[in-house]
Formats: sequence, structure tokens, C-alpha cells
Amino acid sequence: MSSDVVTVSLRAPVSQPLQVEGLTADRVAGLSQCEIAALPAWLGARKARLGDFFDVKGERSDRLRIVGMLTNVLGVAAGMAGGELVIDGDGGRGVARGMTGGLVVVGGDVGVDAARSMIAGTLVVVGHTGPTPGRGSKRGSIVALGGIQVPVTYWYACTYEPPHVRLLLTYLRRRYGLEIDDRMIGGRYRRHVGDAGDPGRGEILEWVA
Amino acid sequence: MDSRGIFIEDTFAEGFGMAAARVVITAAHPKWSRAAALKLTGFATSVIACKCEAAIERELSPDETPDARPGISALVFAMNPEGLKRRLIERIGQAVLTFPTTSCFDGLPAATDRVPVGRALAAFGDKFQSSDVVGGQRYWRVPVMEGEFLLQESFGVQREAVGGGNFLILGEDAPSALAAAEAAVEAMDGMPGIILPFPGGVVRSGSKVGSRGYRSMIASTNDAYCPTLRLATDSALTEGVNSVLEIVIDGLDADVISRAMRAGIEAACRPGVRAISAGNYGGNLGPFRFHLRQIMAGAC
Repeated sequence: MSSDVVTVSLRAPVSQPLQVEGLTADRVAGLSQCEIAALPAWLGARKARLGDFFDVKGERSDRLRIVGMLTNVLGVAAGMAGGELVIDGDGGRGVARGMTGGLVVVGGDVGVDAARSMIAGTLVVVGHTGPTPGRGSKRGSIVALGGIQVPVTYWYACTYEPPHVRLLLTYLRRRYGLEIDDRMIGGRYRRHVGDAGDPGRGEILEWVA
Repeated sequence: MDSRGIFIEDTFAEGFGMAAARVVITAAHPKWSRAAALKLTGFATSVIACKCEAAIERELSPDETPDARPGISALVFAMNPEGLKRRLIERIGQAVLTFPTTSCFDGLPAATDRVPVGRALAAFGDKFQSSDVVGGQRYWRVPVMEGEFLLQESFGVQREAVGGGNFLILGEDAPSALAAAEAAVEAMDGMPGIILPFPGGVVRSGSKVGSRGYRSMIASTNDAYCPTLRLATDSALTEGVNSVLEIVIDGLDADVISRAMRAGIEAACRPGVRAISAGNYGGNLGPFRFHLRQIMAGAC
């Protein structure tokens, strides 16, 4: 029995780094509720289970929603290959690291090294994007809606109205009820390309307020 | 049988199976989506010569389109899915990709039969194109001089689509027949799931299969309904009929055609019209029969 969406809710903020593993949309798509709760996690050096910190609702869906302030949660969406992962709150360090496909959306801010070494896929950050996003990326897109310091390894290409961002943000608003400003849906974006490769095909789309 | 005093002949329209797609075009302004849709559906009156039949279905509000912009839905009909795919690639490539601010989406998202269209057209991007998946569907981003063209990868195919729905308006004179045809078109305009593929929705040159005088002709004038040939052929026209116009309807299924025919015929039954008839080929053209009297009795 599959659910429309798997919801994973952080019970209480964690004060020290919590490393999670396998918390991706494509991974939970094949897991039962119990198996999701049993995914490995490390609080410092102590091994634990995801279910020790999060409530899990739903199973076997490639739509994953994570609720909570994940500032100290590391490894969310790492290596994600497909599906959709939406964080209602802030993301931690290295969100979507090594992502190879799918869509990750962070409703709040993200920390350092978001989408590091991304190969493909899309990361949308509604809040502020922390330092060195997209470092080492080969392809893939970062859509920054709430401010971003673009790394020096990315180069400005143009300012335009990307039709796929309009489609994507409209979809997110309708499908997940995310509060996305009309000015962002129909707005102009600065397109930066760069990082690994010559020319780099990583992409940062920075909303121009 | 009469409808508002107009005689409804005891005959049927004969439809045949087709494959259909719904193309949704959005743009920054309705004038651009409409202009693109008009080009997309241009020269698409009959599969005999145009390889497909197409027309605008209706306007779409921003709430109805994938990217929340004003749009147009158009229906494209071909004889089979392979032909449909080719026509979509040709027409979207020439008529939508080229139009400023437009994006192009599939309008039959629930269809399980699908044809690939986007990848072939994205090659215009000369390997600078890229694709994204949104909501489980793949979309191509094609770099163009204006910015980017966005196009959905696959389009749903309705295999149970029907072509050839029709009815004939037998008028006392040409102005009366035309006024009735215009009223019929207005009544059917915007009905979901149907199109009237001929210009303005009206046909003055209904055809019969083959030719009596030329072996190479696939179709030729429907002489039985030509008033000038009343004495020269086996005419189907009664006295007092001096002009005949045809309304041709394609639909995503037989039911929508029946509903459209009923609405159209009701509107066409007005002063100056002697009778309503329909074109058929004795049941040899296709498996769908739209019996006028059953339709007007609400039995279909």
C-alpha cells in the first residue's frame, strides 16, 4: 500500500549534529513506514534510528515531506536520484549533496554547501542560500528565491524569465500549498553557470526582486 | 420528425476512428497563445489532404494551465498515433517553438497512451538543450534567441477519438443556410472535447467518396446535395432547397460528438431552413453512426 506522500516530522530541534542516511525521495519510495523509521542516523558518535527523532507517516511514495527546522540535520537528500522532497523549515549543511536527479525544495534557509557536487536535478531554496552552493556541480539547477552569494566559479549569463521556473513554482504552490509570491513565479532571474567542467553546466538561477 | 418545425431526415452521420492529442499553448499574453494556436491548427481541415484535422478547442484561464498563464487548448486528430506524433512534431516545431513567450504542454495528462514529441524538437537546441522533471513529467528547455522555449516531452493520445461527425443544413437560399450554420457553430463553440476543423466551422463543399469521372480522385463533390445538379444527378434535395452547408465535427469520443450535434442542430433549426440531413457512405467508411433522430430525441 503506497501513500500519496511520506511525511517525516522532527519531534524537537536537535542541539548537536544529527547525521541521517537514506533520507531521499527515491529511497523511501521503496520502504514501508517501519523501514523508513529504521533508517540509520548518528547523533554525534552514537548510532540511532531515524524514528528516534522523527515521526514517520506514510510509506512507499516518491514524494517525501520533512517538517521541522533541520539546521543541525546533515545528509538530507544526499545522493537523491529522483522523486520530490520538500522541507517545511530550514535545511542543514550540505542539503542535496551529490544529488543526481529529482527535486528538492527547502521552504526556509539552507546552510553551507547546498547541492555540493550535484550531477543533475533541481534544488529550490525559498529562503536564503548559505555559502558555497553548488560547489563542484557538473549539472543541475539551484533556484534561489531568498538571496544567494553566487560563488566565483559561476559566471553570469543573462537576466530573463525562465519558463521552467514558472512551471515549477506554480506546480509547487498547487501541489504542496507552498507560499510562493507571484513576483517569484513570473519574475526575472539572473542565470549563472559554472563550476566543474568546461564550460560548466551547473546552473544557479537567482531571483531578481 | 421535426425540430421547431424543421424536418429532421431519418438518416445518420458516419464517423470513423482517429487518434487525437490536446495541445495546450500558453504565453505572456492571450494574443500570442491564440496566434500560435491558429498557426498550429492551420491547413488542417481534412486528413485527406492535410494529414491531420485540427482546430482550437477553447481558451484557458490561468487557473487551468500548468504555468498559470492564459492559454489555448487545441485538438489535433490523425489516423493513427504514429501519424499524430509526426504532425505534432512538425506543427509544434514550426508554429509554437517560433512564437514569442509561448510554452507548450500536453492537455491529456491522464492518457496512458503517449507519443514522444519533446525530445525530437529539443534537438533544435543543438545539444545546449536540457530537461527537467516536474510533477513526474519531463519538460525540455530549448535555448532560443528570446530566452528559452519550454516543451513537454510526451503527449497523451486518445485512441477512441472519432472523426467525421456531421450534419447538413438544407436552406431555402444561401443567406438562410449560412445564418443557420453560423448559429450552429456559435452553439458548439467552446464545447469541451470537440473541434470543427473547417474554416469558421462550416463546409460548403461536402464530398462523396471517389469520383464518377476521374479514377484518381479520392473524393469529389457531393453531387446529390448540389442544388445546381438537381436535374443532372440523383438528387437528394427536395423542392425549395437551394443551398446546403455542412458542419463537420471531430471529437475525443462519440458521446461528445452526439452532444455537439444536438446543440448545433437545435441552433440551426430556424426560419429559412427546410431540413437537416447528414452525410454517410452507407456504413462503409467507419463504425460510428450518429442517427439524427435518436440524437434529437436525446437517446444518444
